[in-house]
Amino acid sequence: MQDSNQVPEIEAQCPVANVSQLCQNANMIQRTRIFASLSLLVGAVAACSNPAETADAPEAAEATPTLTLYSSRHYDSDKALFAMFEEQAGVKINVREASADQLIETMKAEADMSPADVIITADAGSLWRFQDAGLTQPLLSETLTEVVPENYREPDGHWYGMARRLRGIAYDPARWNADELATWDTLASEDKAGEICVRSSSNIYNLSLMGELIHRYGSEAAGEWATSIVGNMARNPQGGDTDQIRAIAAGECSIAIVNHYYWVRLGASAAETDQQVAASTSFLVPEFTEGSGSHVNITGAAVTVTADNPVLAETFLAFLLSETGQSYLTTETKELPLLDTTALPDGVEAVPAFVASDVNLGVYGENQAEAQRLFDIAGWN
Amino acid sequence: MPRFALSIRSIPPVLLIALVGLPVLVAVWAGLTAGGGATWDHILQNRLVPYSLTTIWVLILAGLLMFAIAVPAAWVISLFDFPGRRVFSWALILPLAMPGYVMAYAWADLMGVAGPLQSSIRDATGWSARDYWFPNLFSVPGLAFVLASTLFPYVYITARAAFTMQSAATLEAARSLGTTGWGLFARVGLPVAIPAVLGGLSLALMEAAADYGAAEFLGIQTLGVGIVRSWNSFGEPNTAARLALALIFIAGSFFIIAKLFQGQRGTQQTSSRWLNPRRTELPPQSAWIATLSYTLILLICFFAPVARLLWLAIESRATAVELWPLVQSSVILGTMGTIGAFIAALVFTLSTKRNRELRFGARLVAAAGYAAPGVVLGLGALFILRETGQALTGWVAIGFLLWIYVSRFTSAGVEPLQATLERLPKNLDNAARSLGARGMNQFVRVDVPLLAPGALAAGLILFVEILKELPATLMLRPFGWDTLAVRAHAYATDERLAQATLPALLIVLAGLGPVLLLSWRLSRTERT
Repeated sequence: MQDSNQVPEIEAQCPVANVSQLCQNANMIQRTRIFASLSLLVGAVAACSNPAETADAPEAAEATPTLTLYSSRHYDSDKALFAMFEEQAGVKINVREASADQLIETMKAEADMSPADVIITADAGSLWRFQDAGLTQPLLSETLTEVVPENYREPDGHWYGMARRLRGIAYDPARWNADELATWDTLASEDKAGEICVRSSSNIYNLSLMGELIHRYGSEAAGEWATSIVGNMARNPQGGDTDQIRAIAAGECSIAIVNHYYWVRLGASAAETDQQVAASTSFLVPEFTEGSGSHVNITGAAVTVTADNPVLAETFLAFLLSETGQSYLTTETKELPLLDTTALPDGVEAVPAFVASDVNLGVYGENQAEAQRLFDIAGWN
Repeated sequence: MPRFALSIRSIPPVLLIALVGLPVLVAVWAGLTAGGGATWDHILQNRLVPYSLTTIWVLILAGLLMFAIAVPAAWVISLFDFPGRRVFSWALILPLAMPGYVMAYAWADLMGVAGPLQSSIRDATGWSARDYWFPNLFSVPGLAFVLASTLFPYVYITARAAFTMQSAATLEAARSLGTTGWGLFARVGLPVAIPAVLGGLSLALMEAAADYGAAEFLGIQTLGVGIVRSWNSFGEPNTAARLALALIFIAGSFFIIAKLFQGQRGTQQTSSRWLNPRRTELPPQSAWIATLSYTLILLICFFAPVARLLWLAIESRATAVELWPLVQSSVILGTMGTIGAFIAALVFTLSTKRNRELRFGARLVAAAGYAAPGVVLGLGALFILRETGQALTGWVAIGFLLWIYVSRFTSAGVEPLQATLERLPKNLDNAARSLGARGMNQFVRVDVPLLAPGALAAGLILFVEILKELPATLMLRPFGWDTLAVRAHAYATDERLAQATLPALLIVLAGLGPVLLLSWRLSRTERT
């Protein structure tokens, strides 16, 4: 494409070394405030890639550098966030939204010609898939490494977490105490017979949870767990997570395996019926065994192997981890920001405190096919 | 006239068959050569039979349901007068504007355990959700209901055309022999209309076979769902393509059964009396039953779900940003795709007019594309893209997307055209040729005017279909070309049904224009 052909010229005017130098200097001066460096980095690239400041020639307007995102997230607030980065950094952002697996096939088909610079997915397993297919590049960024905790990023820098999502349990507080549901094992016990509502097994969040169970206990035990859950189901898996929570309020079941933000969104909904559903249910984040920590998933991002301007891509990732980025990523979605310093979105404070499991999230992707196989055998539709 | 062999006339259709068939062939070929391994073994052992049986069940139930709704309605509306007849005659096509997945969302919400129907039962009786039985939409019959309620207009349209265009002489003869009422329908009307009805039914069933959205949402494990699952969960698109072969096989056998049956039963109208049968007044009691049943059908298949979606949008004060560009890209892509698929359908129909083998081949290839889920065709396109060494941007992306539209929907254009052609007396064609009309001359002066009604129907059906199309558009659209279907899907996958409602209703609205035009045309042919 025309736009991306022009990028090298811009790079020449804005030497890579300068940017990272700027960034490192900022880090040394203000170690306590990482975000200052992040915003500086954003500003630095913005300054040198903004055509108005770098080139006086009128045709420079056509040379706006392009950043192409392949995203499996679909939120209006993401669009607003991207628009903000376009303005700040003086770049044009192209987005292709599709499911992660379709994006992987598209990138494979495009091979060297792929315009993709950054991948964004709403699940760690998908990021691992991209990496496994050789579509990501390692990005050893001090800035990003410092901000993103170790288990939320790939050790070599193939991908980084941007926001957190919890798979937990919504339940009827009139029926259960929180300590009766404290671990995932408790759902397999006989007293939960006919009480559990959950969606289809091909849903990525179920697959990722199963992925961690396989990692911890091995295939056999994980498969037995799935079989017990199927035995305790109140109905065949159907609908989405929100439907499971509504089924609790309607009395069809008393336990639902759901992501935290669906429960939070019901409480924040403008519809009164939704608020009532949220008010009549509680949410908790179970552990695997006592003290093991809880299953956490991420929205994450990776720089592609074909990215022709990795510095710009890195800047974009840093922008997502800035206060603004974090707030835009999570306000509408009700995810948890990756940074503890960012204020929680409205309603998320109702989610109880938890300790994250220290398993590296890559295992979700590694075990995904096995998870589906075990679910199929267990009869979890 | 040489039989066919290497005649020049068979070159365009053969090329076109290749073009239309290539994406399916490439995907399936890749599946057969590169698939296999542990995942395939697992699917073969544990999933293939359940997937296939479920799919067959859904298709049989949906087929019966569509037949039961559409054929009697078409008969009564074509031959009798009763209160509201004029409105029903066009309104029964409205559900065609409703994408299956949108219908599934709406009815799942209406019938769900927390939905308005069940809630009012509980409020009225004080029961809990576990105390009573309620029909479960999340079941094989539920899915068949959802698919049938959006696809029965195909059968209705073709049956209407057949009943309306049947020779009044036949009916009058039957009547004079004392056959009336039910007997007239079962012994005279239906047998004459069967080829057309089967044509409509096989289209509707292939469309149902290719469904993924509704089945996935309702949690029914059809082959369509299995195909996407083996791609998404197992990360093996090749296995998905291999599984698609099973689906194409099932849909193909429905198609071939219909064609064989048509071949045996096909009746040609040779009477020169083209007068439409005169309508008679229904007796009051039957008239009320008719009015009531069609009101109910419309309510269930269109107005109730639309009203529910509107209410959801209002209740949660849903907003959706920048819908106008989506309408634009939907309409532009829809128009371009319609033109492409229409031309392909026209060439298929006309160039194979005198060549049975080629015609069967052409229709079978088109049918394979139609029965294959959009994701499989999209996958085929990506495999081809890989060979070209291009990026999926700009005109390359648009080109691939239009190609897939043509590959997927040509069948939906061929069938109405073919049905029109088959109803025409053969001697018209012979007369034209004996008068010296050949080639282009015959095409312009004879074929085009004769095919016009079928052509309009084909064009409008294509447009509405492409407007609703999701998977291929999602995979292949260039940057900045989101359609209404893409946006509705994006909200729905994030469980924001209220927000998904706005673009979904716009799809219905955009599809309504063509559907009304089609209805108007149907009523007009009737009056002439």
